[in-house]
Amino acid sequence: MSFIDSPAIVLDAVSKSYGEVRAVDEISISIGRGEFFGLLGPNGAGKTTLIEIVEGLRLPDAGTITVLGRSPAPRNLDLLPLIGVQTQRSAFFTRLTAREHLVTVAALYGLPPATAEKALDLVGLTGSGDVRVTKISGGQRQRLAIASTLVHDPEVVFLDEPTAALDPEARRDLGQMLRNLKAIGKTIVYTTHHLDEAQNLCDRVAILSAGRVLALDSPRELIARSGIGTRLVIPAGRLSPEQAGTLDGVNGVAVEDGMLVLRTAHTARVLAALDGAADLDDVETRPATLEDVYLELIGAPQA
Amino acid sequence: MSAYAALSRAVYKAAVRDATTVFFTFAFPLIFLVIFALIFRNQEVADTGRGYVDYIAPGVLSWGLANAALFGVAFTLMQWRNDDLLRIIRLSPTSIWSVIGSRYVVALGIGAAQCVLFVGVAMLPVFGMRPDPTWPLAIPIMLLAVTAFLALGLIVGSAANTPEAVAAIANCVVVPMAFLSGSFYPLELMPTWLQEVSRILPMRYVNDGLTYAFTGFGTMADYLISCAALVVFTAVFAVVGVRTFRWSNDS
Ligand SMILES: Nc1ncnc2c1ncn2[C@@H]1O[C@H](COP(=O)(O)OP(=O)(O)OP(=O)(O)O)[C@@H](O)[C@H]1O
Ligand SMILES: [Mg+2]
Repeated sequence: MSFIDSPAIVLDAVSKSYGEVRAVDEISISIGRGEFFGLLGPNGAGKTTLIEIVEGLRLPDAGTITVLGRSPAPRNLDLLPLIGVQTQRSAFFTRLTAREHLVTVAALYGLPPATAEKALDLVGLTGSGDVRVTKISGGQRQRLAIASTLVHDPEVVFLDEPTAALDPEARRDLGQMLRNLKAIGKTIVYTTHHLDEAQNLCDRVAILSAGRVLALDSPRELIARSGIGTRLVIPAGRLSPEQAGTLDGVNGVAVEDGMLVLRTAHTARVLAALDGAADLDDVETRPATLEDVYLELIGAPQA
Repeated sequence: MSAYAALSRAVYKAAVRDATTVFFTFAFPLIFLVIFALIFRNQEVADTGRGYVDYIAPGVLSWGLANAALFGVAFTLMQWRNDDLLRIIRLSPTSIWSVIGSRYVVALGIGAAQCVLFVGVAMLPVFGMRPDPTWPLAIPIMLLAVTAFLALGLIVGSAANTPEAVAAIANCVVVPMAFLSGSFYPLELMPTWLQEVSRILPMRYVNDGLTYAFTGFGTMADYLISCAALVVFTAVFAVVGVRTFRWSNDS
């Protein structure tokens, strides 16, 4: 993938410690304009710390940050209108309605109330505009938070776990909304614990752990490079693990939950070899996912 | 709409939509005023020819003004910081002075409304308050009182991270101060040393200034000293307030 302009965000050896905890440990990342970038990693990996350093909300101990060619700290009035931020805690003005909240946020950027109406519409909340922010559902809250982030039409959007605590349908809707944002050219940096979603949405992801980048690439590339390959799952008893191990193209054999699991980088060859030994209709093909890569890197046992 | 106007509206709506705020700002001091005024109805303060209500009303008013300004700004600041709203503001091109200014203008409006309400009620025939023609001198005191206690509220709002903590700290500050400043109980009836202690409390000067404005008790020099004292308190509180200010609970 190529990004014509200069990068949207450049981090160079950024570090931040809290006492003994190295929350962000010499991280260098470059994010292109129009890129959809995912920050992944377990709780405490440093995602929020890193994203807030880039936003200029926290100061790094070391390293340099450039966002759209400018430094985010000290508070940079030229940069602020170009970025939109959703913090991990959704922030709403006390006791206002959704619409009033957005009108206030728009005014913070010197924009008229009509802008707020557009943002409300963009996230499909027009019908709930007059509901108090404390009364709207979790999914609507999340959408209102994103509307607040987008009200001033920023170039770069930072979202910290926008899909946390959403039901599957709301999550899918939000995913579609984020795709639309990317389609109109926004650069998006987001964190999530939903790896399937990250795999679908992100151009590239960085997997963080203990403040360090363990892997950084497109989900497809990470999966390919991991060598995890595809898993073929066959009901046990159709063929013995020993037999399976001798088949052309099989890299590994395991028995999991009463199923025989074959690992391969060459699905077609293995299926051809299996033909006859087992009914192919019973064979379930599971391509490796970003989650497999993630779990392998983070060191949890393979599912 | 300017950011300043929008924030003022947001603060105003948050205040009037909260029954607790409305109660403690207007109804609660009014209840005190009515109770005291009824207890001392038709009684005159010796040698003055004035009803007790002329002294009670400025006392309750000074307490009510201080209470509302301090609580209001402390709650707003704590809440906006906890809810990440300060960060949202910080991430916009709006300056922090618009934020403080908007809170200030709402506090002034509330203070003016309190003055009109409390004095208006005290002047009802049943209570019979008769303000002196010098009453406009109450206006600068009202402005200075709101300003000083708003600055004090900034400190409380930065020190406290929960609504409970705001309430606890603010009550510990305001309630004893109201007693020691003569808001509920005439200073002249207190031991001399307590009267001296009251000189380090801003509410005393609010009370003195309002009492002079409404009843002519004291001298113009005392009145000017009250104004000057409130300016000094404001400056001290503002310096501490700016130093303790935090945009968020993380750094
Ligand atoms: N303000 C702070 N003071 C002290 N330690 C902090 C602070 N903020 C973060 N940390 C520590 O820094 C590390 C990284 O935290 P961070 O919030 O960035 O993680 P995260 O990846 O966002 O986690 P999560 O997925 O739970 O949101 C953690 O060990 C955390 O305890
Ligand atoms: Mg986080």
